[in-house]
Amino acid sequence: MHKKTTFSVFLIVLLLVLSGYLFIVPYFKKTNKNLQLIKSEASINSKELIDAYLLDEENTNTLYAGKIIEVTGFVKEVTFLNNRNTVLLYSKNKTSGIICDVHPNQIEKIKKLKKHQKIVVKGICKGFLKDVILLNCYIDLKLNE
Amino acid sequence: MNKILTPFLVFFLLTSFTEDKNQFIARQGQVSFFSYASMENIEAKNNQVLSILDLKNKKIAISMLMRAFVFKKDLMYEHFNESYVESDIYPKATFEGDIINFDASLKEQTKMIKGKLTIHGITKEIEIKTTIEKKENKYVLFGEANVFVKDFDIKIPPILASNIAQMITIKFRFQYQSYEE
Repeated sequence: MHKKTTFSVFLIVLLLVLSGYLFIVPYFKKTNKNLQLIKSEASINSKELIDAYLLDEENTNTLYAGKIIEVTGFVKEVTFLNNRNTVLLYSKNKTSGIICDVHPNQIEKIKKLKKHQKIVVKGICKGFLKDVILLNCYIDLKLNE
Repeated sequence: MNKILTPFLVFFLLTSFTEDKNQFIARQGQVSFFSYASMENIEAKNNQVLSILDLKNKKIAISMLMRAFVFKKDLMYEHFNESYVESDIYPKATFEGDIINFDASLKEQTKMIKGKLTIHGITKEIEIKTTIEKKENKYVLFGEANVFVKDFDIKIPPILASNIAQMITIKFRFQYQSYEE
């Protein structure tokens, strides 16, 4: 009898913890993730990424959209429009580039960026309009040459 | 051969140049939406909205990625993309419209835009009141519109109905620059 009660209590506690983990924790989880310590799922240079999107958007979305990717490219411009910190990477294709919405903790880094500087950006790929869009970006300056 | 080709090439270059001169682009337009409900208010912002403003034809085109909307909470983002707008199937929302009586030379004007809004694969005709400002050779366009969730076949489970408003307010702001810049 005693064993049965202990098991029931254990089961109830387990269910409460599980439901808390599944429903309550995600509710309070913020979306603005810092990707610095999270491993990327793919690594590609800006030209290859843009060319892939221009060639076959749907297929490229299945490869990269929603995933954390690392992109190597050259700085075209840094903007602070709409209170966002944005780095634009250019490509040989004049009409398309990469829009990187940078995490607020990277502000000091992006202030120092120079036009044509080679950088590595890690961000969540959201897809393609006229440009590839990466959010929550972390900038790696190791390549700074 | 060259004599035949040259007039065509000149015509092509001229028309493409004229088009570029009359077309303005915003790559980092801002669109946000608000749902005011009794249980909680939900707000999401997309800061990477693409828009093209055509001065000559008085037209505007907008395209945005649904996955690029940023919410305060992860769970809201998941519900929005997976259950409501089904971003995997319908990744983009678009709008194409005509700016009625638009005068590109005015410094500030408030006009109506009549056009077609497509969300979740459903297209609806809407009218939006908008303010257009001209600053040097740049244009700023902003305003807001209200849309009904049911018009776009977005199904909300009864258990969550009190969390989400029937009518969503959409606000937008675009800063256009010349296509050539």
